[in-house]
Amino acid sequence: MPINLVDLGVIYDVRDDAGVVEVDLTFTAMGCPASEFILDDVRERLLREDGVREVRVNVVWNPPWSAERMTQAGRDALEAWGLAV
Amino acid sequence: MPTAAEFDKTIKSGELIEAQSEMTPEYLRELKHTLVVSGDTELISAPAYYLAAKRAPSINAFMTGIAIIQDELAHAHIAYHILEELGEDQEKLIFSRDPKSFRYPYAFDVPLESWTELVVANGMYDQAGFCLLGDIHDKCSYGPWKRGLNKVMAEENFHLRNGRTWMKRISQAGGSAKDELQRAVDWMFPLSVEWFGLPDDLKMHSTQLDYRLKGLTNDQLRQWWLSTVVPYCEQIGIEVPAHKETKDGTDVWVLDYPFPCEFDAQEKRWDFRKPITWDDVLARWRARGPRNAEMVAMFQEEFHNFRKSHKNGN
Repeated sequence: MPINLVDLGVIYDVRDDAGVVEVDLTFTAMGCPASEFILDDVRERLLREDGVREVRVNVVWNPPWSAERMTQAGRDALEAWGLAV
Repeated sequence: MPTAAEFDKTIKSGELIEAQSEMTPEYLRELKHTLVVSGDTELISAPAYYLAAKRAPSINAFMTGIAIIQDELAHAHIAYHILEELGEDQEKLIFSRDPKSFRYPYAFDVPLESWTELVVANGMYDQAGFCLLGDIHDKCSYGPWKRGLNKVMAEENFHLRNGRTWMKRISQAGGSAKDELQRAVDWMFPLSVEWFGLPDDLKMHSTQLDYRLKGLTNDQLRQWWLSTVVPYCEQIGIEVPAHKETKDGTDVWVLDYPFPCEFDAQEKRWDFRKPITWDDVLARWRARGPRNAEMVAMFQEEFHNFRKSHKNGN
């Protein structure tokens, strides 16, 4: 995807407790076929940061994601790619 | 319609062709042929992948498999839709052609029977598709197709990722899982190498290159494929029958077996001691492989049954 998860609006919260990072995230659809890849990427990327010892990801469905949650940068990226948003 | 000389000038200038009125009949014929190969390849990959996707090891993996199949059907639709705009009948192309007249790589005719074989197909067959379509996307002189491929390329990346991630995971699991992966690679690697067709020294002339329907020769595309697949397999500890050599300062990928050689489709086994000729390969391709008729029937039969029952008013 040409868009990052923050601009897509699927990251709901990130908390850091002395190197244990907890992330609340959702997917754009319950049937998201890329969900495992996304979870792997989030864990792998955060563990590359200095001081991060452990990553816990909570998949949440409330509030449900909608296109309203995208940032302007996210919209621009998807539009440049030919997707109507 | 332009004269042959006018058309030749347009092609050489690097301009894009946007409408049928700008084409010569020869260009139109070659463009349609290239689109049929592309559409048929994407279409037939759906039943080919479905057999194996049903064996997914988790619901999430099954969803990924099904999403890939959905992408492939959409990619087929893009090619057939353009063919329709160029005057072909999409319904006839898909539902009324003889199975043997479909133009797709022989590899899909050999059954993919496990999740492991599906992910190797995603890693190798989709990589072949990525090279072929990437080249068309880059060089194609027909504007509508070139632009349609923007999204196709992005989606093919997802298939490659599924292939590579799972191949690595299965290899790391070791034991019988890794053995199964190696066996799948053993028969699927040479089929993918064959995918790119006749070597350049046997293919005298390519109209597709003249018309800029593609930009790279068969051997160039094959080298591109080898340069991505061989290092990745080596990196995850899977053996492949090819290695890199440096000739005159450039890297060349060399096969460690006679190319082409004999393949037993029922046993899914290559005999590297038995070199064959390209005429033999072409004869095998023309005869098609084990799943050809069954896969085409999978979408043709129900279409005709549905038509018949609706006509009878049931």
